Amino acid sequence: MSTTPCAQSASKSTGKRVRYGTIRLMVLFGAFLVVLINPFVNYFLHNNFVQGWYQSIGIGALWFVSPLEGLESLLITRNIYMPSLVGMVVPVTLAFLLGRVFCSWICPVTFILELFDRFRKIISRRKFLKNKLLVAKKVLWFTLIGELLLSMIIGAPLFVFLSPPGLVGREIMMAVFFRTFALEGILLILIIVLELLTRRFFCRSFCPLGGLLACIGQKRKLRVVTLAENCIACGICAKTCPMGLNPQQYEGASAYCWNCGECIDNCRTEALCFQWQ
Amino acid sequence: MKRRLFVKGILGSAVLFGFGSGHTQAALLENPLATNRLRPPGAVPEEIFPAKCIRCGRCVEVCPYRSVIMLDIRAGVHAGTPIIEAENIPCYLCMKCVDVCPTGSLLRVSQEDTRMGLAVIDKYSCAAWEGTTLCRTCYDKCPFPEKAIRLDQLKPIVETDFCTGCGLCTHACPVTLENGRKAINIEPIYAGDKVLS
Repeated sequence: MSTTPCAQSASKSTGKRVRYGTIRLMVLFGAFLVVLINPFVNYFLHNNFVQGWYQSIGIGALWFVSPLEGLESLLITRNIYMPSLVGMVVPVTLAFLLGRVFCSWICPVTFILELFDRFRKIISRRKFLKNKLLVAKKVLWFTLIGELLLSMIIGAPLFVFLSPPGLVGREIMMAVFFRTFALEGILLILIIVLELLTRRFFCRSFCPLGGLLACIGQKRKLRVVTLAENCIACGICAKTCPMGLNPQQYEGASAYCWNCGECIDNCRTEALCFQWQ
Repeated sequence: MKRRLFVKGILGSAVLFGFGSGHTQAALLENPLATNRLRPPGAVPEEIFPAKCIRCGRCVEVCPYRSVIMLDIRAGVHAGTPIIEAENIPCYLCMKCVDVCPTGSLLRVSQEDTRMGLAVIDKYSCAAWEGTTLCRTCYDKCPFPEKAIRLDQLKPIVETDFCTGCGLCTHACPVTLENGRKAINIEPIYAGDKVLS
């Protein structure tokens, strides 16, 4: 079975492959740096080349709009605005092909939680962090539907001002522009505290944006595949998965997987790999 | 047991948040627009503004005068929406915010067609109307002099057809009343318009 993709990547790399975790942390850091530096550039240098954060970010004439925010705005007002739709194309395509990669590779909340994870591991000297409170993964869909319905009932998009990825950007902007913090930042602290109970507690089942991206990415191209013949059922992948999935049971191909590559990094027998299907 | 505790906690905080006090409850849906509290130029009517705006804050970031500020959670469902406090920093009609809005909450509009509100002179506190001084600050500061504000026997008069509601006059007005109002204030009267569909 030397033609399988996993074996190929293993032979190519000869064990010295750069860990996805390292690349991911660098990407996350870069994405965080954008929302961190951008308000300073806007405020002190009056340079508006980049504006906004991960609710909607404009880089020159290139605009991105977060799909959930755009969808909510569309559903509530029932009014189509082309720039908003065009701005959603790139994020939606990304989610359609790669799944929830925004969550694991870009989201500033994930960056904070990733640092928090590493910090916790150093303090507790434990290799794996334990999950104390598990919520059914299906709750994610209920969050998404509930959120959309609730927004339509009150007629104001709820997630847009409580969206954790957006909140990070907003808090930094508020701090730079108005020398204060917005009160809703409490939500971020709550998310970090909940992290002590379960890794990515909020991301797993309570983030509506994650829900929408997972829904779009159900038929995604890039998946984590499991090679049964290499697997020795050690269970390490399940322990390292921040989303509490079990890649050994082929859950890497489920809608809940966000393609972070943590399980692939930790698999000792090259039984897991990314595959473009 | 733990799960039960958790659910209770969530419900408890939801109740606290929603029904903490009568004041909070009302503030959750209350519109933040009032005298001298305006939406940026080209804003769609308030009927759909809070639904259309995705609170991305780009208008706040591009405003070179820091006129556009962002509301926080104390404004309830309007949290994150942009607002201009005319008496603090008025709008200089540079139209940068309109250009970056990704949702069409702020629609492109020319400077003279902007209708953020209407300047209303309080004739009982205006120095010129009271006759205490020959003040014509609002007339001097108006970006559309002789059009939006003109002088009639040295007293300023606002022309409804031309006033954009930018608030430059409010900001410049030397008379400040005890309640923080000026002798000329901007009333966001166009925000209550209905959406044609």
